[in-house]
Amino acid sequence: MMRLRLCTALLASAAAFVAVTAHADNLVTKDRVGPADAPKSFTLRLTNDGPTSTDPVWAEGYQKLFSEFIQRHPGWRIDLERMSDNIGQEQARMLEQAKSGNGPDCAAVDSFVLALFKGANVLKPLDEYFTKEEVADLFPFIREGITGPDGKIYAWWWNTDLRVLYRNKEIVPDAPKDWAELKAAALASKEKGGEGVLFNGGRWEGTTFDWLANFWAQGGKLVDDKGKPIFAEGENREKFLKAVNYFKDLVDSGAAPKRVATIVNYDEFNAAAAAGTAALFIGGNWQYGQLKNTLEPEEFAKWTFSEIPGPTADQRSTGTGGWTFGAFSNDPEKVAMCAAVIKEVYAGTGNALQQQLPTAAALYGKYDVFKTEANETFAKALVNGQARPGVPIYPEISNQIQVMMGDVLSGTKTPEAALDAANTAVQAAFARL
Amino acid sequence: MPTTTAAAIGAAQRRVAGPSLARRIEANPFTWLVPVAVMLGVFYLYPILDVFRLGLTNASLVGSDERYTLVTLRAMFENPALLDILKTTFVFTIASVIGQQVFGLAIALIVMRGERRKLRGMVALRTIVLIAWVIPGIANGLIWQMLFSEAPFGAINSVLRMMHISPVAWLSDPNIAMLSAVISNVWRGTAFSMIVFYAALKAIDPTLYEAASVDGAGHLQKLRFITLPQLRAAILVNSILVTIQTLNTFDAIISLTGGGPGRATEVLSLFTFNTVFRNYDLAGGSVLSVLMLVISLVLALFYASFMPRREASE
Repeated sequence: MMRLRLCTALLASAAAFVAVTAHADNLVTKDRVGPADAPKSFTLRLTNDGPTSTDPVWAEGYQKLFSEFIQRHPGWRIDLERMSDNIGQEQARMLEQAKSGNGPDCAAVDSFVLALFKGANVLKPLDEYFTKEEVADLFPFIREGITGPDGKIYAWWWNTDLRVLYRNKEIVPDAPKDWAELKAAALASKEKGGEGVLFNGGRWEGTTFDWLANFWAQGGKLVDDKGKPIFAEGENREKFLKAVNYFKDLVDSGAAPKRVATIVNYDEFNAAAAAGTAALFIGGNWQYGQLKNTLEPEEFAKWTFSEIPGPTADQRSTGTGGWTFGAFSNDPEKVAMCAAVIKEVYAGTGNALQQQLPTAAALYGKYDVFKTEANETFAKALVNGQARPGVPIYPEISNQIQVMMGDVLSGTKTPEAALDAANTAVQAAFARL
Repeated sequence: MPTTTAAAIGAAQRRVAGPSLARRIEANPFTWLVPVAVMLGVFYLYPILDVFRLGLTNASLVGSDERYTLVTLRAMFENPALLDILKTTFVFTIASVIGQQVFGLAIALIVMRGERRKLRGMVALRTIVLIAWVIPGIANGLIWQMLFSEAPFGAINSVLRMMHISPVAWLSDPNIAMLSAVISNVWRGTAFSMIVFYAALKAIDPTLYEAASVDGAGHLQKLRFITLPQLRAAILVNSILVTIQTLNTFDAIISLTGGGPGRATEVLSLFTFNTVFRNYDLAGGSVLSVLMLVISLVLALFYASFMPRREASE
């Protein structure tokens, strides 16, 4: 009799679980969250950070979070739109759509282009949905990034990242603290069969962003307070050339292979680490988890990270990026739903799911995943974090730095000639803005 | 007026006025062309005209006040990078067009000869060549990026090392990077040329070759005096198509080199893409698009001037 009751209870539980799961499955489809016949709806354009993520763990996690979210907001349906991996093109298209009034109601906006969206006056203020305490708890560079000239917040920056120096402890036991130490460590690693230090040097945004840490560490400024490019003037010029010559010297001396001029993807570093050909590389904080998943446990145990070396040990900087959410809708109800998605799905819970660094100090203590030694170290390194300047000329500055880096590393131009060419192009573009 | 007289007058008026409106519309060929003209106008002509219009503005994805100006036009043509980009585009296009034609013709001749001798596997050979053609440009670039990778585990360099040959800086050396980009483009585009030449070779009258054989002509003489002259129209048409296709190629390059190192492989189409989607300069991108259109048209007319003309008696 007891066994029969137990079986009945198990069957009932299983049936209930299947029913709940099936219900959740119905609520979250490839292009929709919520019932298809819901009276109210809004469009949400996402990157890979959502229910349709290519990462099965993230996809499952977001399906659950969105399913719970829509059950808390009956009568609503979210029409999901998915961006391709060509983020630059996607963001440019979305900006054009938003300007013509055809943008999504709510969307993921890359922090790198947030200033352009703010400048185009297409984002709706989100102040009434976040308390002053929540805004005050954001890291300063995050708060500055989302705030408009009128003091209102026009997006919510929910995750951030930073660049660090990864190293194989077996080959490079001590963390290089300055440029000279990194060069010496890279040359030493070559003697043990490695390639030296790897970094982005090809034609893409990562090249500019990762290299800028060396310019910023000296106190260099790309633009003045009015957004005018000043990187090739006065002291900035010296600092800029010093940072370019540092990378050039790494390649010329053999401390870095010439192929860095072709690297346009952080995955190249993971591949080199997995193949055992690299002992040092400058990568993103998210790669720590990727290395953990890619390498055998005993191989992964050899890897660690430290702050990017500066010209001197006490001059450090690192580039910080991440993703924001913004609302484009003219309907206050849809803007409110957008803010609700940010607060209930992404800020905090989404960070914990994806193990992506939160932008508010309080969240680091709230979730266990951020209490690991690695994440605490990343959080400390954010103190030296620097975001890219939120000015319309930045994309052209970045483009010219990429061209300059290729010309210098391949020996086509001297650093001085390459800087002059970059500055001429940037100033011409700035004059037309 | 008697009824018969009125009917006669009406008939006479209709004869003077000609056929009814419906019949006239039916008889007019332009009526049947209207749907196509509307489709072409809406989906092709309007975007082209809009690109011309945008080129004469300061339109930007980040700005708000669009106004008509010649500043963009001047800025684009005064851009010191443009000349280098045009040179790169010229080298990439001419090398790709020649490479695709030579390899396409060679494969078509091999397939024809194989078929004439009833060799097995000719269909398979054609299919294998065609596979490269159906691969999307981005995938093509990624495939060749893996092959040309200069990492210690790069495919081609690993083979070279096994053969005790020094590895090659396929993508980091500016000069070799252009060669690599051409190789990847030729690999992808050869199949198209092969199909064009294969069809043209099929149309050559076999009695010409029989007569040449009777006259004692060798293989090279047949190729020079029969095949190539007979393929003249196909070569010219193919040249136009391949040139336009190559001028518009940017997807394979963006995934192979991104246009680098520096600007070593940045062709005009990629420069245009970067101007619009990375620098958000809609007006500048439109000027460059018009420039591409003009270059394509001039080259097409140049090739067309060599086309064999039909005799008046034909």
